[in-house]
Amino acid sequence: MSRRPGFVLEVDRSTPPTLFWSGEGFGLETLPEGSRVIYAPEPMKAIEDPYRAIRHALLHPEGDRDPLPALLRPGMKLTICFDDVSLPLPPMEAPDIRQMVIETVLDMAAEAGVDDVELIAALALHRRMTEDELRHALGDRVYDAFAPHGLLTQHDAEDPANLLFIGETDQGEEVEINKRAATSDLLIYVNINLVSMDGGHKSVATGLASYRSLRHHHNPQTMRHSKSFMDQPASELHSSNWRMGRLIAESGVKIFQIETTLNNDTFPSNFGFLQKREWEWSLRDRASYAATSKALSKVPPRLARQIFHSIRSPHALTSVQAGEVEAVHARTTANVWAQQGVDVEGQTDILTMGLPYICPYNVNSIMNPILVACLGLGYFFNMYRGKPLVREGGVLIMKHPTRPEFHPGHHPSYIDFYEQVLTQTVDPVQMHKEFEESFATDPWYIHLYRTGHAYHGVHPFYMWYWCAHALAHLGRVIIVGGDTKAVRRLGFSPASSLADALEIASDVVGPSPTLTHMHNPPIFMSDVH
Amino acid sequence: MSTLLFERSLPRFAAARVVSSFGSGRGAGVGPLRLVERDAPVVPAAGWVHVDPILSGICGSDLATLDGRSSRYFEDIVSFPFVPGHEVVGTLSEDASGAEGGLLSAGSRVVLQPVLGCAARGIEPACPACQAGHVGNCGYIAFGHIRPGLQTGFCADTGGGWSTAGLVAHSTQLYAVPDELTDHDAVTVEPVACAVHAVLGAPIEAGDVVAVIGAGTLGLLVTAALSHLAGVGRCATPAAVLVGARYAHQQRLARELGATEALPSDQLGRAVRRHSRSLSYGGASGVTATLSGGADVVLDCVGSPETIAQSLAMVRPRGTVALVGMSGKVTVDLAPLWHREVRLVGAYAYGTERSSGADDATSTFSLAFDVAAAQKTGRLVSATYPLARFEDAVAHAGAAGRRGAVKIAFDVRKGPIR
Amino acid sequence: MAGSGLRRRLGSARFPLAAPSWPTTVERPDPERKVGLDYDHDWSRRYPVRLARAIVMDNVARPAARVLAPATVRGLEHLQHVEGPVIFAANHLSHMDTPLLLTTLPVEFRHRTVVAAASDYFFDRTWKAVLSSFALATIPIERSRVNRKSGDTAAELIEDGWNLAIFPEGGRSPDGWTQPFTAGAAYLARRTGRPVVPVYLHGTRHVLPKSSASEGRAAGGSGTESRRSSRLRRAPIAVLFGSPLSPDEGENTHRFSDRIEAAVATLSREVHSDWWQARRSVSAVAPAEGAETAHRGPEASPWRRAWALDEPPSSERESEWPD
Repeated sequence: MSRRPGFVLEVDRSTPPTLFWSGEGFGLETLPEGSRVIYAPEPMKAIEDPYRAIRHALLHPEGDRDPLPALLRPGMKLTICFDDVSLPLPPMEAPDIRQMVIETVLDMAAEAGVDDVELIAALALHRRMTEDELRHALGDRVYDAFAPHGLLTQHDAEDPANLLFIGETDQGEEVEINKRAATSDLLIYVNINLVSMDGGHKSVATGLASYRSLRHHHNPQTMRHSKSFMDQPASELHSSNWRMGRLIAESGVKIFQIETTLNNDTFPSNFGFLQKREWEWSLRDRASYAATSKALSKVPPRLARQIFHSIRSPHALTSVQAGEVEAVHARTTANVWAQQGVDVEGQTDILTMGLPYICPYNVNSIMNPILVACLGLGYFFNMYRGKPLVREGGVLIMKHPTRPEFHPGHHPSYIDFYEQVLTQTVDPVQMHKEFEESFATDPWYIHLYRTGHAYHGVHPFYMWYWCAHALAHLGRVIIVGGDTKAVRRLGFSPASSLADALEIASDVVGPSPTLTHMHNPPIFMSDVH
Repeated sequence: MSTLLFERSLPRFAAARVVSSFGSGRGAGVGPLRLVERDAPVVPAAGWVHVDPILSGICGSDLATLDGRSSRYFEDIVSFPFVPGHEVVGTLSEDASGAEGGLLSAGSRVVLQPVLGCAARGIEPACPACQAGHVGNCGYIAFGHIRPGLQTGFCADTGGGWSTAGLVAHSTQLYAVPDELTDHDAVTVEPVACAVHAVLGAPIEAGDVVAVIGAGTLGLLVTAALSHLAGVGRCATPAAVLVGARYAHQQRLARELGATEALPSDQLGRAVRRHSRSLSYGGASGVTATLSGGADVVLDCVGSPETIAQSLAMVRPRGTVALVGMSGKVTVDLAPLWHREVRLVGAYAYGTERSSGADDATSTFSLAFDVAAAQKTGRLVSATYPLARFEDAVAHAGAAGRRGAVKIAFDVRKGPIR
Repeated sequence: MAGSGLRRRLGSARFPLAAPSWPTTVERPDPERKVGLDYDHDWSRRYPVRLARAIVMDNVARPAARVLAPATVRGLEHLQHVEGPVIFAANHLSHMDTPLLLTTLPVEFRHRTVVAAASDYFFDRTWKAVLSSFALATIPIERSRVNRKSGDTAAELIEDGWNLAIFPEGGRSPDGWTQPFTAGAAYLARRTGRPVVPVYLHGTRHVLPKSSASEGRAAGGSGTESRRSSRLRRAPIAVLFGSPLSPDEGENTHRFSDRIEAAVATLSREVHSDWWQARRSVSAVAPAEGAETAHRGPEASPWRRAWALDEPPSSERESEWPD
């Protein structure tokens, strides 16, 4: 059976209700007649022998790079960096793609007799990974060979002794990255491209950078001019990273980039109904849905979270390319679009979406209201090329419980951001001016980032800047089923049902607006004409 | 003429205690407070005049007394039966001289400074505190030619504000009310004076982080006093005034009155941490987290075991915790106080304020009038009640925060509202 | 109230109700405590204790081991025709090696085996001596050189019909590769005339690792602290028995010890070849013949030594990656 592409459904009277995620749960909503629902393409076929494909990519690199064995020699300093726990989403079934790539690379390094090898989790200002998370990403064999000797480290952006200032780009952007990585003879980066924002020069220029570097592109102005940050040529975020990446390359850091793409087979079979078109749900799917949503509604949020966060996704490798950064990335981006791209005609007045329980910043954790905003207005809103799905001044309606719950270990600065910053302003430009610096330099947040498992003090601001483009573009944001106080704190409008939300929206877009629903999972990119 | 009288009655005390355990202020109906017909008190000596109250407020200390929960320490400085009410704005029934000298004419409005010091008690020579102008520290409040009583409103001979019959006051207790103050503003002047005295007594320096715990009347007035006095240079300007306020209306008022941030009490510690740029450690399994630094000054405007513990947890080593709210017998872990060399000081009533230059001695009340006018503290009076509905009034005062109110007062006038 | 009064009365009790204090002018001899190599462990071999140990071993330890740490056991056929007593010589990776070895022995050996254990770890405190003697029938032994007393004790026990389990490395391996063997097992075999059964243990270092205090420390804040020492992890483990060895005519102790070590190393290759098959899931390839002399690992940095521990035999690797 050939794989079906994504398509846009026009809702009519015979259309069954549509699935909406809502945090750790889901529901069915009846969309008004004439609405459009965008369905993602079906999963691409996975590569049958990933190890073989990886080895092939390493021996036949893109761009001006020699095959990897030729770049390895005894006595050299080799550093292997890899994407952190924020990818892929949900976490992959074992073996993780990073494990497979790094094992293959290490086999070659062992054969070549390279003794000085270090592994670094390129987490920028994200939280450190736990032992279990590292074992999951790298596999036990890699972990046990490196961690006990201190050769598996996590990038510490606040360690002045382990940062190297490379220089400034022609736009005055300071470039400062991990010293071990910058001073290695060869820097191998193992990347997972779940969405087209990832990869390319961003891997090293952001993943291994410090606050001093990041603030040049992680700010409201840059994010407002990233339309969108999923579309690299149209993204100011990427222009900045590309300048930085080229400066890094020119300064002599030799990077061997390995990028991978996954298909969008997101959920295991017991949750399979989530990805299927509703009119194709079998009896088993419908029973599954009924049982699951019933059970989830009865279970306390903590338990529901545990259930969902233990899901391992069957998504599998669809392509792997290695070599010079830009050449590799061009191919990767094309592969991402091949899996995720859907053609969509024209914009809409109202855009609706259900938000799932997970975003890159709450893996094994709690999704707090700020992350809800970031997932909807940051990620999903920006998954387009051309024009946003919703017209300027239109309305975004999201469905999520938006509980004012925070993980105190992972997101301490988020708590203070919610209670002390959002109570005073929701304007990204104003908070950038008044509050960002004190959060970014707060000694306690830095302490927790360096020694605990906390996101950096400045991180909640970045989440809010991620929404900057959407905040400037939209007329109103409504959250259905969310905690009213929390939703208002975010500056959005609460509604208890989709019908109420449409009522509220009519104030902005008039009585008979067009409506488009993003049916996720799985994720997809809209090519809006 | 009706009067609320507080009588000594053990069974009624006990009853009030029990009922108030369900909520402050609920025991007014069964407690020792009764509405009686009673004549005005007799002027005890020369220099005393009769005052007709207009409004008289219900204070936290009144509530504690009515609940049967005030400390036994006060038993010897209170005489029964007494008419409560020490926050009073009223009119003079005859000409009199005032506390600041000068002549106050009959019918003019005055605010009562309720402390019964040496002058009021006819004690010559006055005690050192009264001589220095610190009437709040007078030691002879159980002596002299009137019965024991720390203030009007706790003394059997003076009457109090909760009476249409009126009270008697010594000339040193009378302060003229400036015309621009409304009656509502004026009835808050006494608690404003407590707030001013607490603020000026605390060792606040420029750039300090100041935390205020509690945003009832006292906490809000402390905030108001602090921002006004810093603004006119009477005290140093802190870098941040962080107020712990449980209710939304309190948070709004705190911000209006000049707080840098007003947050729920459980978030106050985090704001203190951030503004003082401290690290935090511990806090596992119910033990409060400790800060490496903390607020320079904490003004505890509640005085409960929880708030005292909270104050000690958020003050920096060698900082000061001022107990502004009336406290009683509490169990507090003093290990943080000992280890971090914290100063725990009481702040009571008012007297004379001097800043570093000894020449600028001003009575607390006169500064209080400035604060009341500039900050329009009368807006904190949320409701007034006639004496006949005293049970409702006291219940409302006891649940003020929950019911969106701040200050409740009795309207005891015999004429129209001004 | 009553409690504190009672406590006070008990606290102020005097001699003869309470124990006497010793006058300062009289010299007090040191209390006698026999620990370490001097520990008297005869009691652990008396019948009632042996019975209790056997019951615990068979009804508690073995079922628990099957659940918590299921092991692949091979080579038991080598034990079918050998007559006891024998000396088991095994490589050493983890504290769980001894209970694992004992629970996997066939019944005719299981309850009649003493284990030579380091006197400075298992016998330095009385409670540890009691516990290990009871549970595992341990006898104290020096790590590097078997001294006269423990050598005599061991030989006597063997001559009495006890099997002996010994770890010739003298301590647990820091990285999974085998350290050079000391000659204790070979010496005892020559002295008593009993055969040596080589044993290879694999994977126990992942289940109950050496604590991080004795491992190399991970780097400061940016490193990953290994908190595994307090947790049991699931990992595949294996116990392989080899065919018994006896010293050749005229073979000296050191030569014989080398031979024992080589036998253990040869057993190790069996494990690796099996694992490689499992991972690659290709059709079975017979492991290349060829004995190793010792299971030492390459002269290389720690990560490469760890990497090589799981590597397949080189002949297989070449056939694996066509291009």
